[in-house]
Amino acid sequence: MKIRFVAAAVLAGGVLSVLPAWAHHAFAAEFDAKRPVHLEGVVTKVELINPHSWIHVDVTSPDGKVTSWMVEAGSPNILLRRGFTKTTVAPGTKVIVDGYQSKDGSMRANGRDITLPDGRKLFLGSSGTGAPYDEKK
Amino acid sequence: MTCRTFAVLLLLAVALAPLPSQGQSYTPPRTPDGHPDLQGIWTNATITPLERPAELAGKPTLTDAEAAIFEKRSAQELADVDGKSEHPLLAAAGSNGTGGYNVLFIDRGSELARVDGKKRTSLIVDPPDGKVPPLTPDARNHPPFEGYGKFDSVKDRPLSERCLLGFGSTSGPPMLPVLYNNNYQIVQTPDSVMILVEMVHDARIIRINGKHPGPGVRQWLGDSIGHWEGDTLMVETTNFTDRTRFRGSSMNLKVTERFTRTSEDTILYRATIDDPSTFTRPWTVEYPFVATKGPIYEYACHEGNYSLTDILGGARKKDADGGTK
Amino acid sequence: MMTSLARLTRMVESGNCMETADTLRVKTNSMGKMLTGWAAAALLCLPLAGQTAQRPARLPDGKPNLNGIWQALNTANWDLVAHAARPGLVVEMGAIGAEPGGPGVVEGGEIPYLPAAKEQKKQNFEHRLTADPEVKCFLPGVPRATYMPYPFQIFQSEKAIFLAYEFAGAVRNIFLKDPGPAPIDSWMGQSVGHWEGDTLVIDVTGLDERTWLDRAGDFHSDALHVVERYTPLGPDTLSYEATIEDSKVFLRPWKIKMPLYRHVEENARMMEFKCVEFAEDLMYGQYSKKASK
Repeated sequence: MKIRFVAAAVLAGGVLSVLPAWAHHAFAAEFDAKRPVHLEGVVTKVELINPHSWIHVDVTSPDGKVTSWMVEAGSPNILLRRGFTKTTVAPGTKVIVDGYQSKDGSMRANGRDITLPDGRKLFLGSSGTGAPYDEKK
Repeated sequence: MTCRTFAVLLLLAVALAPLPSQGQSYTPPRTPDGHPDLQGIWTNATITPLERPAELAGKPTLTDAEAAIFEKRSAQELADVDGKSEHPLLAAAGSNGTGGYNVLFIDRGSELARVDGKKRTSLIVDPPDGKVPPLTPDARNHPPFEGYGKFDSVKDRPLSERCLLGFGSTSGPPMLPVLYNNNYQIVQTPDSVMILVEMVHDARIIRINGKHPGPGVRQWLGDSIGHWEGDTLMVETTNFTDRTRFRGSSMNLKVTERFTRTSEDTILYRATIDDPSTFTRPWTVEYPFVATKGPIYEYACHEGNYSLTDILGGARKKDADGGTK
Repeated sequence: MMTSLARLTRMVESGNCMETADTLRVKTNSMGKMLTGWAAAALLCLPLAGQTAQRPARLPDGKPNLNGIWQALNTANWDLVAHAARPGLVVEMGAIGAEPGGPGVVEGGEIPYLPAAKEQKKQNFEHRLTADPEVKCFLPGVPRATYMPYPFQIFQSEKAIFLAYEFAGAVRNIFLKDPGPAPIDSWMGQSVGHWEGDTLVIDVTGLDERTWLDRAGDFHSDALHVVERYTPLGPDTLSYEATIEDSKVFLRPWKIKMPLYRHVEENARMMEFKCVEFAEDLMYGQYSKKASK
């Protein structure tokens, strides 16, 4: 079995193009591309842990039933380097989650896109890095 | 004090004085025992890939102008995949339609590695083509990476998924840049150099003038011993387990690293990977570790590894559903 | 005189201080001169006595040199308070799995639990085989990491102090400048250190509530605040004290105290104890293909 590195994409250069398939956590193994979810709910707890952060979101259906979801995000260390703390996202914050449900059918999903009702990303992020490491000591 | 004793002391003083490195104008700060001070928090984040891209064959370095084009394209690409589920690059990275993190969580660097003033197109400097040498016939028959496509039990999963080691040889050695958390802290004493690898909170303890244990003692991070050659710290690591498997390597892996402080905010890192059972010849990577603000945050991993149960649980459900996807 | 001096120099250079002292003693014929002789030999020997020269009592900045591999030699990890031996929890392990007795390390003898917390501790003790985070190889937190039955290494330079524990490869960087409140809780907490004379004082906050203080179910909340004190008692011994404060669990702050001993064997070194591997079958065995059949 030959691991195919992304020869075509490599021509375009860039970060992701040089990632072999095993390079980071295999989302494909965990979540099901055939089970997209769109959740609108309220944050009850934010677990800023490794390897991945998890945001607990309560979703209330029109009939009043509450389902507790866990939404997976990235390593919190990156957030901490940007000044994030455990109080930055308060319980009660309304969020919209677009992602895919866990393959084992549990109430878990990956947070492909986690936004606030006004469209801003939950984690204050934006594209591009501007990462802290760019700042020399 | 006798004349002889004085003479001996004088000779010792001259012999121990640090030798000026060739062509190096930078004088590093020194620890009290006279060696260059490597301490601090450093990052090896860089968008320079391990192997030279085909389009840059024959070009080990780029001018700053050429590099800027490459760097801008890289940043743009990252912006393009942000939040998407479908993208050839995401598919290549294993997301298979489920998407990846928001780009916010990616921290691989924004610049190509600069060494001796020039921007490098590959981390590999030897062989000169910037590619990993061919594998031995024996190695080619083994799956190169642990846990590729097997979900029968936790023992089949990659070491990083099990939280035994950080992914992609972030701890190594060699210590390669990966997708994020490319941070290291060095603390230096006369008999040890400790390198904390952020993922997965691994403290590499390099025993200065130490001796390797016998072949019966195998460790995930191997066994590292070091000594100073002039102003360069040389570290030799052997005694890896047969499961550490850096790019398919075996227990016979030997990694030789060199750390040289070349400026106020740079340590030049050079590592030679030698495993005759796996690679047809030794190969060498070279890139800088750049000073960064820190601190290094805890990367606990195993204590919060929900993902692993989700992955195994998903595989078991698939089995129960008769194996259909 | 020159011959004697030359001979003495050779003796001293060879590291044979005892022989040198003896030679000086023999050559004197008065108590005073003999004592001077011993003193002189001692002084001559100091820079060349291998072990001491390589491990000075102080760093060049004057601080006590805590570099080395240390370990507690007590049963605190089994139970912080005085306890007799107890049967183990795994029958097949017989005497190997049994719990040894110990005189306890808590000042005053008892841990001052709040009434509700006392109940919780009892529950913890009864369920310790499944509830103790050590079983799953979770990071041990502070102060438990100090008295686990595994060594730890202190790395101390003029710029940094860093503790690496063999158990689970736990690590602690000690901030020498207060970085402000911990942004989140972590298993090993946020440690800020400063010196009070020859004592290294480490203030630990931001500790995750899920660690235990020992195998007997002694626990804490997210309000835990620990202040450690490391003081050299001699070249190979440290005095370790930790004041534990948690208003959600204890009536008042309380202290533990114990010596820490240096590993002096020539080949002393830290080994890997990546126990995650050893806890996997326990934690994930239910997800294996065989089990689901």
